[in-house]
Amino acid sequence: MKRRFKLMLFVGIFIVLALVLSACKPTTTEAPSVETEAPAKTEEVTTAAEEPVTVTYWHTMSDPETAQLEKVVEAFEAENPNITIETTRYAYDDFKTAILTGLAGGSAPDTARMDIAWVPEFANEGALMQLDGVMPGFEEIAAKTFPGPLSTNNWQGHYYGLPQNTNTQVLLWNKADFEAAGISEPPATMEEFAEDACLLTKGEEQYGYALGGTYFWAPAPIFYAMGGKVVDDGITTADGYINGSESVAAFSMLKDLFDKGCISPNLLGGGIGTADGHATGLYAMIIDGPWMVDIYKGNYPDFEVNFAMIPTGPDGTTSSVVGGEDVVIFGDTEQSEGAMKWVSFLMSEKSQKMMAEVGVIPTLSNLIGDPSLPAYFDVFLKQLETAQARVPHPAWGDMDGAINNAFQRMLRGDQTVQEALDQAAAEINALINQ
Amino acid sequence: MSTISKRNLTQALTAFLFLLPGLVLFITFLLGPMIYSFRISFYDWNIVKPENSEWVGLANYARAFSNPIFRRAVINTLAYAIITVPGQMIIGLYVAVLLDQKIRGRAFFRVIYYLPVITSWVIVSLLFEYMFSGQAGLVNYILRDVFNIIPKNILWLADPILAFVPIDLLGIWKGVGWTAIIFLAGLQAIPKHLYEAAEVDGADGIAKFLHITIPLLRPTTVFLVVVLTIGALNAYISNLLITNGGDPLDLTHFILTLMYEATFKRLDFGYGSAISYILTVFVFVISVVQIRLLRQQVEI
Repeated sequence: MKRRFKLMLFVGIFIVLALVLSACKPTTTEAPSVETEAPAKTEEVTTAAEEPVTVTYWHTMSDPETAQLEKVVEAFEAENPNITIETTRYAYDDFKTAILTGLAGGSAPDTARMDIAWVPEFANEGALMQLDGVMPGFEEIAAKTFPGPLSTNNWQGHYYGLPQNTNTQVLLWNKADFEAAGISEPPATMEEFAEDACLLTKGEEQYGYALGGTYFWAPAPIFYAMGGKVVDDGITTADGYINGSESVAAFSMLKDLFDKGCISPNLLGGGIGTADGHATGLYAMIIDGPWMVDIYKGNYPDFEVNFAMIPTGPDGTTSSVVGGEDVVIFGDTEQSEGAMKWVSFLMSEKSQKMMAEVGVIPTLSNLIGDPSLPAYFDVFLKQLETAQARVPHPAWGDMDGAINNAFQRMLRGDQTVQEALDQAAAEINALINQ
Repeated sequence: MSTISKRNLTQALTAFLFLLPGLVLFITFLLGPMIYSFRISFYDWNIVKPENSEWVGLANYARAFSNPIFRRAVINTLAYAIITVPGQMIIGLYVAVLLDQKIRGRAFFRVIYYLPVITSWVIVSLLFEYMFSGQAGLVNYILRDVFNIIPKNILWLADPILAFVPIDLLGIWKGVGWTAIIFLAGLQAIPKHLYEAAEVDGADGIAKFLHITIPLLRPTTVFLVVVLTIGALNAYISNLLITNGGDPLDLTHFILTLMYEATFKRLDFGYGSAISYILTVFVFVISVVQIRLLRQQVEI
């Protein structure tokens, strides 16, 4: 009898636990605070500023960056003793799912650093707080940043974030390969680039140029430098842009080099990656970002990394593609005041310089030429002056897919360059008009 | 009388109390989400503000059936099942018969054959991707440099058909151990005297295998066909890692990689849920048909 009582007790406790656990499921039935109005907020502020608050910040930084971020947090907390910053790090591949789960379950962070290509998508879902006209000092900060990275925060005329850090792609050239082929310096124009790519090719033993894949990011620097455009500035049509003469010329050059065997076939899938291939001399030229310095430091400590600007197109100008991350505030935050202070601090010269120490490129244009920045930043900062952002549109992911597939079809010979890009234009127009 | 029914009641209550935690967890974490996602499949679902979701009826289902990428994914999934289910079963039966013999180191071999089953899908998928790399892969090296069968490196993963070679091989390799263990259990349940009787009648090894082993393994075979087919239709991780889910040109999707892409990459939860439910119905129908067809002749 006693034993049975114990058993019942045990089962009972278990049930209570199970019920409590299931009750813990976040079911925030309270009306979500939609678009906090500016005047109402300032009133709250004066009272809220005295109480200690915690602002959460999610990011996907690397090991050295995360360690440096802790110092930035310390500096911020020293200036703002009432605000505690709670940082959480995610793997890039899990990040979108984590944010979505958080949003759906009412446990989204107050602030996050996210891929610049995601901002229009989340803004379109109504997840982000509008910053222009709401955040104190937004206009001053925005005016100091590079226009390309800043534009990635714009969705339907409003800004939903600030460019926390930026990057772009430049040319990496393997000096040993170039010397062996009797070429003394990296190509300055696209004609020289095409010529060098074939001079540096030796059958399957060495390729003049290699791309990481057919996704838009890979050919984007050459595409933009040759005057290519995906859509018009107002994002109303792709016709005459992605299939316009400049875009066709850019892809035709790549297709031609590929057919001649001067571009490695790895871009079709399942080959040797560009980072390894370049360091081992298999790929004489690749186009990549500032993180390559640290990747090579770890994997190929003896390899000498050489950067150069993207070769100029027919009109004599260079260009590239803007990458990086934006810092955003989520619309459901209850700590908007603290969150805005934290975002302002992340955008300050002090914080930007601290992060630059570990290879993160700042977005403040007045930091160009600052002696405290690593020397290899120069080429990236110079390239950023003309670099262009990808289309800021919630359907960008699908647009990227349309261009990716067009590139695949032309390389495989399924369609001519013009046919493939005409199809991409039709697909992108359908996405714009959705 | 009354004491008995009281005891019954207490027993039933105890049983119910024991079941309750499991039931609560089942309803909260399985049944609830399943019903919820069924509902989502009829909406243009807004994950951030669900109250703004728009009712679209069967549009998500219609979209799937009219989408050539989805139809291709169905064909790819079926082809995977048609190749890997018999592949696992034939090799699994062969291994099971070998492991059923009185050979030295039998336990050792059983462990060896079972090892792939317990390895991580992610790790072996990456390993197969590496082996089938178009430029530095082991497979190309063996075919080109060791046996000189191919003149030039094959870009396995850049071809929408050849990309399934590593995926299918991985599916078979990873499943053989489990299939063999199930077959082994089936083999050991066959009474030895049947073989002895057959020997007396002058049957050789092949005759014994064809007339005793195969027919008496039928219940095991039915079980394996159904379970392995369900597993094959739900294949996902290997494809996602080896082809990035659909590369090249969205021609190599499985139904589930397409579901994953729709849901978690494009945030199109309505469409993703519809694809899940189409797969559910598909698996259910195929399983019922298989059980019906194969059960009929169990008694021999």
